[in-house]
Amino acid sequence: MISDSIPNASVAMASSNPKDFAKKKRANRLAKLKQCKLDARREQWLSQVKNKGGSKEEVNGGGVAHRVPAVHLENERGRPVEKLEIKPRSGEEIYGDGSSMHHYSDSESLPSNSPTSQTSSVLGSNDSGANFTASSSSSSSGRSSSSCSNGFCSGNMSEDEGDVGDDDCLDDWETVADALAANDNKQKQDSPNSGFGSPSSKKHDNAAEFGSQVDVANQSFSGIDISNVNPELGPTKQRPQVNCCAWRPDDAYRPQSLPNLSKQYSFPLNSERRFGRGSVWGCKNLGPIPKSCPICFEDLDGTDSSFLPCSCGFRLCLFCHKRILEEDGRCPGCRKQYECEPVEGEATLDGGSLTIRLPRSCSMITSLRYWYRDLVLKQKELI
Amino acid sequence: MQASRARLFKEYKEVQREKVADPDIQLVCDDSNIFKWTALIKGPSETPYDGGVFQLAFSVPEQYPLQPPQVRFLTKIFHPNVHFKTGEICLDILKNAWSPAWTLQSVCRAIIALMAHPEPDSPLNCDSGNLLRSGDIRGYQSMARMYTRLAAMPKKG
Repeated sequence: MISDSIPNASVAMASSNPKDFAKKKRANRLAKLKQCKLDARREQWLSQVKNKGGSKEEVNGGGVAHRVPAVHLENERGRPVEKLEIKPRSGEEIYGDGSSMHHYSDSESLPSNSPTSQTSSVLGSNDSGANFTASSSSSSSGRSSSSCSNGFCSGNMSEDEGDVGDDDCLDDWETVADALAANDNKQKQDSPNSGFGSPSSKKHDNAAEFGSQVDVANQSFSGIDISNVNPELGPTKQRPQVNCCAWRPDDAYRPQSLPNLSKQYSFPLNSERRFGRGSVWGCKNLGPIPKSCPICFEDLDGTDSSFLPCSCGFRLCLFCHKRILEEDGRCPGCRKQYECEPVEGEATLDGGSLTIRLPRSCSMITSLRYWYRDLVLKQKELI
Repeated sequence: MQASRARLFKEYKEVQREKVADPDIQLVCDDSNIFKWTALIKGPSETPYDGGVFQLAFSVPEQYPLQPPQVRFLTKIFHPNVHFKTGEICLDILKNAWSPAWTLQSVCRAIIALMAHPEPDSPLNCDSGNLLRSGDIRGYQSMARMYTRLAAMPKKG
């Protein structure tokens, strides 16, 4: 399934004039999006993309658009979704949505077995503060557009954590870059052992397939690396990283993520589905989301309706949830004790099926933020 | 404080809207105090309380809905789980099994269910409980019916 769908994606991506293709697609989506807010933002991004020059846009495609928000560093939940919508390539996007989660779970679960996991965990332990981006960019390089969400997250966080010293972060970004390059080389050597296809051609294919994605990754990575000061990337700088990052053996090395990836690939690639995805998939397996909080009867906003604090599926607004936690802390639906906060975040991440997308990706960001905060604390201890 | 008030107001509107939906329950808010409610419930059929109309008094705490409302019978009732003198109700959902998802309306429904299915093992009215526990269903039913006629039915003449 994977090997089938990868060529499909590559065909789509490598089609003779990717620029036109991407542009057409983007235009289509522009037409489809109804919320003027989104439109305004997209216009903004598009203009920035155009300012950066056609050639760049051709190569980077959505990457520029992705990185721009990451550089803008706005903290919005809707942002990743929008970014996904903007993406010119369907395959890429389908990667993207899931891989942001997978990346997370990967970096959590990996240390158990695979060689890559060790390297990434080594990365993680080396430079705790930056390791978030390190691992994120490493995973993103292999996995296309997870970089966008990662870039988003990391950029987002670096702004959120205003108290964190920027210089520290900078140094660490660079060390991470070095470590990542080393890691990439190592993995490149390892890659012949990995999953499918012949090693050499595979690398080229992937370079072609994921070229834009890699650019995305590189951009987000180096954009952070250069401390978001210099959004433009020299092609020379990209070159080696493209080679390093073009083929990440992550996918092949990680048996856990493979099923997820194949699932992602197998998702229908039409854009309609993708547009509806947030709501459709969010609702599909969770039953109807009540319009108002059953406790206070106030209307549920977006955050609330993506908030699923208990496995019994009882939804309530964050405000009431907080009040209940302050009191007896039992779920009104099943009267079981709510789990404490951090566990709860992980539970929503790990538990549930793949199709629960919106809630997971939303809670993702918050929990990533917590995670990052912990990492920063660890980093300070190390220093 | 504000939260409970807002919630009670919403419940009030809900009650107004669903007045017809449940004819067995008539829930009325005190004119001057939204934390005081009274309810009129009809005794469930095929029970000794059939035909009676029982008045309940709700006293809603400020922590509502996190804290359960205090409910008691104003109408005298012969029931193992209702204190004969004070009207206090022994019902788990009014104590430790309370959930904020419950409403005053659902509490009324729960009380009607309790009237139809008494729990003689945790009695507040020991006489009634003892009758049931000793298997004297007939004795319990006749006593309960008598008190229903005496207290819960409109006086004739």
